[in-house]
Amino acid sequence: MVMALTPAAGVQGSLLDSPVGVNLLRPPGAVEEELFPAKCIRCGRCVEVCPYRSIVPLDARYGVHAGTPAVFVAKIPCYLCMKCVEVCPTGTLRRIALKETRMGLAEIDKHVCVTWRDEGLCRTCYNVCPLKEEAIKLDELRPYIVEEACTGCGICVHGCPVAGERGRKAVNIHPIYSTRQGRG
Amino acid sequence: MGLSRREFIKRTAALTAASCAGVSLTLPQAEEAQAFDADEWVRGSCRLCGVGCRVELGVKNGRPVALRGVPDSKTNFGYLCMKGMLFYKLMGHPDRLTKPLYRKSKKDKFKEISWDEALDIAAREFAKAVKTHGSDSVAYYGSGQALTEETYLFQKVMRGGLRTNNVEGNPRLCMASAVGGYLTSFGADEPIGSYADIEQATCFFLIGSNMAEAHPVLFRRVMRRKLDNKDAVKVINADPRISPTSRVADLHLQFEPGTDLALLNAMAYVIIEEGLYDEKFIGQYTTFRMGKKEEVSFEEYRSFLRDYTPERAAAICKGNITPDKIRTAARWFAKSNATMSMWTMGINQRKRGVWANNLIHNLHIITGQLMKPGADSFSLTGQPNACGGVREGGGLCHILPGHRLVKKDKLRHQVEDLWGIPRGRIPAKPGYHTMAMFTAVNQGKIKAIWINCTSPAQSLPNADLYRKGMAREDLFMVVTDIFPTKTTELANLVLPTAFHFEKTGVYGCTERRSQLTWKAVDPPGEAKPEVWIVREWALRLAKELDDPVIAKCVAPFVGKEEQYELPEAIWNEYTQKLTKGRDNDLRGATYRVLRQRPDGVQWPAPTEEWALKGGTYKKFVRGMDPLADEHAKDEKPYQFYGPAHPDKKLWIWLRPHKGPEEMPDAEFPFYLSTGRVIDQWHTASMTGRIPELMRANPYAYVEVNPRDAKRLGISPGDMILVESRRGRNLLPAKVYEGPVEGMVFVYWYDQHEDRLINRVTKDAFDPGSKEPEFKICACRIKRVSGPKVLKPYLASITT
Repeated sequence: MVMALTPAAGVQGSLLDSPVGVNLLRPPGAVEEELFPAKCIRCGRCVEVCPYRSIVPLDARYGVHAGTPAVFVAKIPCYLCMKCVEVCPTGTLRRIALKETRMGLAEIDKHVCVTWRDEGLCRTCYNVCPLKEEAIKLDELRPYIVEEACTGCGICVHGCPVAGERGRKAVNIHPIYSTRQGRG
Repeated sequence: MGLSRREFIKRTAALTAASCAGVSLTLPQAEEAQAFDADEWVRGSCRLCGVGCRVELGVKNGRPVALRGVPDSKTNFGYLCMKGMLFYKLMGHPDRLTKPLYRKSKKDKFKEISWDEALDIAAREFAKAVKTHGSDSVAYYGSGQALTEETYLFQKVMRGGLRTNNVEGNPRLCMASAVGGYLTSFGADEPIGSYADIEQATCFFLIGSNMAEAHPVLFRRVMRRKLDNKDAVKVINADPRISPTSRVADLHLQFEPGTDLALLNAMAYVIIEEGLYDEKFIGQYTTFRMGKKEEVSFEEYRSFLRDYTPERAAAICKGNITPDKIRTAARWFAKSNATMSMWTMGINQRKRGVWANNLIHNLHIITGQLMKPGADSFSLTGQPNACGGVREGGGLCHILPGHRLVKKDKLRHQVEDLWGIPRGRIPAKPGYHTMAMFTAVNQGKIKAIWINCTSPAQSLPNADLYRKGMAREDLFMVVTDIFPTKTTELANLVLPTAFHFEKTGVYGCTERRSQLTWKAVDPPGEAKPEVWIVREWALRLAKELDDPVIAKCVAPFVGKEEQYELPEAIWNEYTQKLTKGRDNDLRGATYRVLRQRPDGVQWPAPTEEWALKGGTYKKFVRGMDPLADEHAKDEKPYQFYGPAHPDKKLWIWLRPHKGPEEMPDAEFPFYLSTGRVIDQWHTASMTGRIPELMRANPYAYVEVNPRDAKRLGISPGDMILVESRRGRNLLPAKVYEGPVEGMVFVYWYDQHEDRLINRVTKDAFDPGSKEPEFKICACRIKRVSGPKVLKPYLASITT
C-alpha cells in the first residue's frame, strides 16, 4: 500500500503511457514497454516469488498498466536474485543472467552528491553495489558509473543517504533501455 | 490462513487501487536543512570515530539543523563522512531517553521516577554493596566516548571515594594492546607523530585496519597522498580480507588470520639480512630485549629471526603470501624516505596483540623510520575519546590520571596528595580488567555496577555468557545513556544523559589532540550531563556511607553551574594538577585556549603560549617537543623521556610467532572475523537511528569467499547459520571476494538477537593487555534457506 501511494512520474499523462520513469522500473529481463502491457497477463508470479518484495503490482492509477509488475528502487531495490525471470509464464520477463540485466542505468547527479560537491566523503553507492568495482568505480574517491556493467538494480539509489529535490537521490536510475528506441 | 501469498497480492492490488482514489498525495520533501539556514554555528569535534574531525553545529531557533566541517582544522580540513554530517539528527530524536527509569527486579517493567529518587536509589545500592561486601563489590564500566571530564570525575569518586580500582571501560576492548605496545617499545603511551606525517610519507604500511571505512576522513589523506604521487608513494596493505582500504594498495598481503606475527618477523629478517637497517640509529637509541629485565645483543636478535625466513613465514601465512612478496614489502618499508604504519583492531584484538604491536614498532626502530617527518608507527583509535579520556584520564583499572600506574606507590600517593585525600585511600592493587570484571559479575562478586555510555551486552565477546551475569537479580546495574540499548534491557536504573553538543567537554583523539565541544542546544526532557549526575550521586554516597572523604572528592565542584562552569572546573583540576610534570602535560590547553584554536591542542603543552601554537607535532624531538628539551640528558637530537623505560631507550623485542587461541578444525572449519562498515558505528545505537545511514546497511551480513560459497552451494542473500562453540547467528550471505578462502566476516553493529555476532565470538584475551581476541575464532557455516525479508532492529525500552 505504501508503495502504491508514491505517484509515478508519468501518472498525470494518458492511462496508456508507460509508467516507467526515474527510479520506477520493470523487473529484470522485461520486454520493451511498447509490448509489456499486452504481453504481461498480470498473474503476479514474479511479485510472489520475489523474496525481498521488491516487485509490486501497479495499482489502478496506472491505467492499462495496472497489475503489471514494477520496482520502486528508492523503496526496495532489486537484489538480482533472478527468481522472477524463471517464473514468468509469458516471457514478458525473459530468462536472462544477472549480468545481462538492464533495468536502467544509474546516473550520479554531481550537483547533489556530497562527494562530488566536495562537501563530504561518502561511498555508500560504491559499497552497496552488487557489482562493486565493475559497475561503480572510484575516481580519486569519487564514485562513477560504468555504463557497460550497470544493471540498473537500484541498490545504490536505495542506499544513497543524500536527498535531492522531489524525492530524488544523488544517484538515480534512468530507464534508458525500456523502449524500443532505447534498445537501438 | 488459507490465503496464499499470490492470492493476497492479487487482492491487495485491487484494494490498494480502490483506496487510493481521491487520496491527495504529497511528494516526499527533501528534509535536508540547507547549510546557510542556521542562525549560529557552534564549534566542537565529531561524536563518532577516533579521527577527531572538527565540526560546526548549525543552530536555528535553539534547534540543531546541520553539521559542517571546519576547513582550517588540521585533522579533517573541512571534510566529513556521512556519519559526521548527520549525527545532529540524534539530538531531537523521538527515541531519546528523557526521564530516569527504575525497576527493582529485572523482570519488572520500568517506571518513571524523579532525579531525586533515582540518585537516592543509586547511592543507597552502591553504599549497601560497599557496607556488606566491601569496596571491590562495586564497579564502574565507562567508555571511550565519555568526555574526559566525565571519565575523570567517575574514576575519582570510585577510587578516592569508594576505595576501589574497579574502573574500566570499553577501550580495553579496542586499544589496550596498542597501549601495551607503546609502553613496552617506546616507554611512553600514544603515537610519537601526527596525522601531518601522512603528507610527508613515501610508504604506508596498513595492517589490520580497514581505515577506508573505519576512519574515512583520515583515509582520504592517505589516498590523496598516494594519488598525487602515484610512483613515489607505495602502499602496502596486509589483511586477511580485501577491503575498500586494499584498493589503493600497490601490494596486498592476504595472509590467513592469526599469522601476522610470523609475517612481521619475516620482514625484520629481510631487513637485517639484506643490511637495510639503520646501524647508527640502533646504536644510539635502542636496546634488544627478551624480557623486561633481560637485555640481549644484536647477534641474538639476528639468530632469533633465522626462524622467520620468508620461505618459512610464507608457509605459515598461506593466503597469497609468497617469499617474494615479503621481501618486496620489507624493502619498500626500509628503503622509503619515510614510512608510516597504521593499524587498528586487526592487530590489537589478538591473543598476542601487544606482541603484534611490538613487532610493528620493531620494523620502525631497526630501520630508523621514526622521528623524521613522515615516518611513524601510528596506532589508530576507534573512539573519539579513548586516548584523551581513558588512556590519559585514568579510565582503566591499572592506571591513574596522567599516565600513572596504580601499583607505583609514589605515583598513587601523588594523586592522593593532589586530591587532598588521605594517603592509602586509593588501593594499591589494580582493579578487575574488563573480562575479569564481567567474570566477577557472573560469579556474583560484584553487587553494583555503573555502566556509562556503552553497551557491553552487545560489545563483549561471547556475549551470552556475560549477559547471564548482567541479568542476575543480585546485581544492581545503573546504565547512563541517550538511547535504549541491549544493555539497558538488563538494567535496574536507566539515567538519561545529555548528548554531544548538549553539554560541554573535551575529547582527545588519536594524535594526542584535545578538542573542546561547546554546549549548543538543550538536552531533551530531563536528560542531564554526566558530570552533574556523578557529583550529585557522590554527595549522596557520602551521606549513606557517612564518609566525608567521598564528599571531598567532589567538593571543588559543588555549586557550579553544570553546563559550562562544572566541566571547566573539572578540566582545570585534571590538567593543572594531575598532568603537571607528566608526559601528557596539558596545562596550556585551558578552555580559553581550546576555544581559540581551530583544531585543539596536541600535548605535551605545558604552557598556554605553546598550546596557542597548537602544541607538539612530534614527541621526543628536541626543538619540537618542549619536554624533550627539559628532560635532555645529552646532545642527541632525540630524547626518549617516557616514564616506562628507565634507560630512556627504545626497546627492540624478540617476540616469537603465536597463533590464535582457537584454530579451525574438522568440526568448526572456518575462521570468523568481525568488523565495521562505513555507515554504521559500533553497536548502531546512534547510526541505526539515522534513516539515511540505516537504509544503506539495515542489517548485518556474513561475507563468504566466492570459492567457499560455490563449494557449499551458497548464493547471495541466502540465509546462513554461523555457529561456534559459544553461540550462533542467522545472517544473509554476501558472496564477495573479500575474506580469504576459509574465512568468513560479519559486521558487528546489528542488535538483532539473530545477528548479534558477539554471541559467536571468543572471549580469549591477551595476557599482557587483557584485550580480547575478537578478530579470530573458529566457526562453521551452513545454508539454511534462500533469501528472507529482514527488518532492521533496534532495542527499545518499555515502561
